[in-house]
Amino acid sequence: MKSNKNNPTFKSYNRDPKLYDEIFDENDEVRETYKTLFELYSEHSAKDFGKLNTKAKASFFNQGITFQVYGDHEIKEKIFPFDLFPRIIDSEEWEHIEKGVLQRSRALNAFLWDVYHDKKIIKEGIVPLDLISSSENYLDQMNGFDPPGGIYNHISGTDLIKHSDGKYYVLEDNIRCPSGVSYVVCNRTALKRALFGVFNHYQAYTVTNYAENLLEILETVKPKGVDVPNCVVITPGIYNSAYYEHSYLAKAMGVELVEGQDLFVENDFVYMKTINGPEKVDVIYRRIDDQFLDPLEFKPDSAIGVPGLMAAYKKGNVCLVNTPGTGVADDKAIYTYMPEIIKYYLKEDPILNNVPTYHCSRPDELDYVLNNIQNLVIKPVDEAGGYGISIGNRLSREEIEEVKQTVSASPRKYIAQPIMSLSVHPTYIEDSECFEPRHVDLRTFTLLGSSKDFVLKGGLTRVALKKGNLIVNSSQGGGSKDTWVLKNNQ
Amino acid sequence: MLARVANNLFWMGRYIERAEHVARYLNVNYFTSLDAPNELSQSRQFVLQSMLFMADDFTRNENELNEEEVLFDIALNPDKQFSIINYVKLARENANSARDLISTELYEAINKFYHFVLNYPVENFKKNGLYDFSVQVTENTSILRGKIRGTLLHDQVYSIIMLGVNIERATQVIRIINSKYKDAEIAQGSYGDTLKNSYEWTTLLKCAESYDMMRRFYRQTPTSITTLEFLILNTDCPRSVMNSLNEVWEHINDLSREKHHSKHSSAFLIGKVRAKYRFKVIEEIESDLQAFIENILDDLNGIGVKLEKEYFHY
Amino acid sequence: MNLDYKIRYIAKNTYENKTDGALWQFLIIPENNYSQQLISDEFINSLNIPVENSINGYGFRTYRIRPRQSIEEIVFTADFKIIKKVENIFERVSHEYSKDEYTNLRSLEFRAENDVFLRFTNLTSLHQKVDFEFDESITLFENLQNLNSWIKNEFTFKTNVTDIDTDLNHILEIKQGVCQDFTHLFIAIAKQFGIPSRYVSGYLHQGNGYFGDSQMHAWVECHIPDTGWIGFDPTNNLLAAEDHIKVAHGKDYSDCPPLKGVVYSSGKNETEYSVQVSAQQQQQ
Repeated sequence: MKSNKNNPTFKSYNRDPKLYDEIFDENDEVRETYKTLFELYSEHSAKDFGKLNTKAKASFFNQGITFQVYGDHEIKEKIFPFDLFPRIIDSEEWEHIEKGVLQRSRALNAFLWDVYHDKKIIKEGIVPLDLISSSENYLDQMNGFDPPGGIYNHISGTDLIKHSDGKYYVLEDNIRCPSGVSYVVCNRTALKRALFGVFNHYQAYTVTNYAENLLEILETVKPKGVDVPNCVVITPGIYNSAYYEHSYLAKAMGVELVEGQDLFVENDFVYMKTINGPEKVDVIYRRIDDQFLDPLEFKPDSAIGVPGLMAAYKKGNVCLVNTPGTGVADDKAIYTYMPEIIKYYLKEDPILNNVPTYHCSRPDELDYVLNNIQNLVIKPVDEAGGYGISIGNRLSREEIEEVKQTVSASPRKYIAQPIMSLSVHPTYIEDSECFEPRHVDLRTFTLLGSSKDFVLKGGLTRVALKKGNLIVNSSQGGGSKDTWVLKNNQ
Repeated sequence: MLARVANNLFWMGRYIERAEHVARYLNVNYFTSLDAPNELSQSRQFVLQSMLFMADDFTRNENELNEEEVLFDIALNPDKQFSIINYVKLARENANSARDLISTELYEAINKFYHFVLNYPVENFKKNGLYDFSVQVTENTSILRGKIRGTLLHDQVYSIIMLGVNIERATQVIRIINSKYKDAEIAQGSYGDTLKNSYEWTTLLKCAESYDMMRRFYRQTPTSITTLEFLILNTDCPRSVMNSLNEVWEHINDLSREKHHSKHSSAFLIGKVRAKYRFKVIEEIESDLQAFIENILDDLNGIGVKLEKEYFHY
Repeated sequence: MNLDYKIRYIAKNTYENKTDGALWQFLIIPENNYSQQLISDEFINSLNIPVENSINGYGFRTYRIRPRQSIEEIVFTADFKIIKKVENIFERVSHEYSKDEYTNLRSLEFRAENDVFLRFTNLTSLHQKVDFEFDESITLFENLQNLNSWIKNEFTFKTNVTDIDTDLNHILEIKQGVCQDFTHLFIAIAKQFGIPSRYVSGYLHQGNGYFGDSQMHAWVECHIPDTGWIGFDPTNNLLAAEDHIKVAHGKDYSDCPPLKGVVYSSGKNETEYSVQVSAQQQQQ
């Protein structure tokens, strides 16, 4: 298969030799995994893709798979852009990822148990006490509490990238309320609708089994004495940007989607208000942040929580998923200790790489950071969604000075990492009407239960649609791709 | 099912139905008036007044109504509570919060409908879009009706939506009768029209999409008696008040778990109201239509309140 | 020797406009611990709404009330009977000076174990220097006693000059406040030195003319290595002993207010409450 130049839909595809290109190797040859797909896509003209692209967009819009963007004057409904070129991960590569993310989730679970019980890892000086005691996400209400089944992070979303060295690196572990899994399913559906033929040539694992596995996980952590648990999903409401996902998960699991106002607590049991009166609730998959769960215990003005929920939880009458207080471990500063955390609890070597990290809280490392900002990414420790990130080589001299000042003012709040080059993947660009390389990452979804675990074979490949942009979050103009994990026999 | 969600489904049904009736009312009144047989029925002001009355806007007291403004307010003005665009928005919002319970097909249809109304070019509408807009609205609602019947399991979810639909339908048909009866009263006498044979009866039947059915049933020109009888009492006419009450009765029985309805239940009240109208005769109704209208609107309202207390309280 | 206590807590809530849904949680039940034993507890309200027994996030017992009706006024009355052990706190504390005490205090193990009560909260953060200093040539206990009397000497008990959100730095300026304020100040200074300290909410027997007006009282507990938690009452420059009946503890006031509520009502609302503590030497 010779170079892309023969293919009109790839006419403006310029491979950057400094980056890892997911489909072309260093000789501009199509990689083995993508050969068939590339040939199949070559049969379509640029116009075809334009049409398919428009159709796919309309389909997302009509299905109401949208999120809301709050502008200055009005609320706009936007779709999370979907790209027609799927990401393919072969079985060998996937095995490595799957083992790696499961290992991390288990290690994080053990870490959470420890920091809410004996704190051995701290007492032994492996993770600094400061990281825990200065964390706003540590819930002292959880101190000494045994969550049902011993599970904290039932659901973890791990963000991975492929660096220019062709290796996967973990960028972040999200174990509060990781979102995005509904898009994995939507993307698959959308690609099937648009280009069903290509699926005949590849054997990819299904992604629709996520919900059934999630339900099983929820059932493994049911309260004592409950036979068949009544599980629900709780959402902040229809105006939440992830509402589509909440409703999708409830529907796919066949459980009720509730809001705080639908639940009440009586004698430390949780009930939902149904048309036939109160009905007891046993397991709550909550998509509400810790601080909003219970106005009697946390933010007193939370209107989306349930007063008395924490007491019911602590009495063991209801299970919350993920466990309150997991946020302490998805702090970006904890991330940097992941290799040590894995070794400490699992006595194993980490399977997936961590990006080397400089802690601005350590004076010598702070010095290095301040002197090398142009080569580093500076990240706030506790912001989600790609906010507050500065990429050193994109900053002007003045901006570098500004960043220096903010970082020196509160060094504990920042970490720095070398600028990782996210791999690129062909992505349909509306303006040029052809495929161009764009940066991608991968979010995987791992489930931990007391007697089973599950990694979704697939994931959310997020793509930065702006040329050269490294931030793939949807709030920053990112899109996503269907992601295929291939079965072994290919 | 959650009480809050049940309430949302109930109102989703009501708003869909309401949008349809208002849209058809605009369409039928406007276009039949263009070639109406008498001058008053042709008069713009007369028609616009009638529309505002039906839409529930009593805020205006100008003598001269502005056509563009009135039509825009009722159809597409997002700031007017009684506008079609507002009903569709509310229907979709209600659907959103019950999204996990309704079919993907129904949700998608509601969502498409919403985007259609939301993106309808206002300028076009004001110039010459009334026909297109109102027809599209009524067609969309009939698609929704099909999706409700054909893509939902006929369980509690379905029953609650249908309760909303039918209570609203009965209410809207009564309101249309009220509105057109007033028109007929005002129009009587001009060009020798008597109340009994008013041209407005035809319009009324068309507003309820029942003209063809009525002609098939009576094989004669509509009169006040036959029109009222058909729209109120005929159990075979799917738009009649009695038919709606029968439907309400059927669906409350799917919902209620009691075999013998306790006297404070919604089912009991619905049964009672249904029985009250089941054996009414049209002459009795016609002799004091105004009292009848007030009475039945009260009854329908009472059913809504009772349902809310029993099932939707959260 | 033991003391018998009777405690009565009364609260009256009034609402300008009727409530449309409400939930109240009372954290007022004396805890059972080695020095106090709860004999009976009774909680009633003027509207006879059923009372639920629950816990707060830290495991302390609470009463919870969720009326179904709309409410303009409601009166809650709680009665407790307690047996309190009279003991000499000094006997629990080691008086021999040793440098090890300070070494232990600073050990990672001790700090990790007591991490929660070493954290600064909004109510226990100081942004300016205070002129109290710890002296490492005497015991920790002596230092804390000095801190206790320093606060008593420097500050004047005065009601209505501060409220529950008052910043410590403001209190340092005006040198006045109530038991909550002095407790927060004590905690802040002790924590700054690295002594785990927690806020205690409870009742004070005022038979001896102590400050604390007829409301709930607040004091401090500090964790001294090898000794355990010892109570200090900076408002009265006392050690918390047989006159102090503990209800709950937390990092600061916001972890243990006696009454929390989620009330849907427009307009003003008011809570009046009073506490009576009476003691009797136990008949033996």
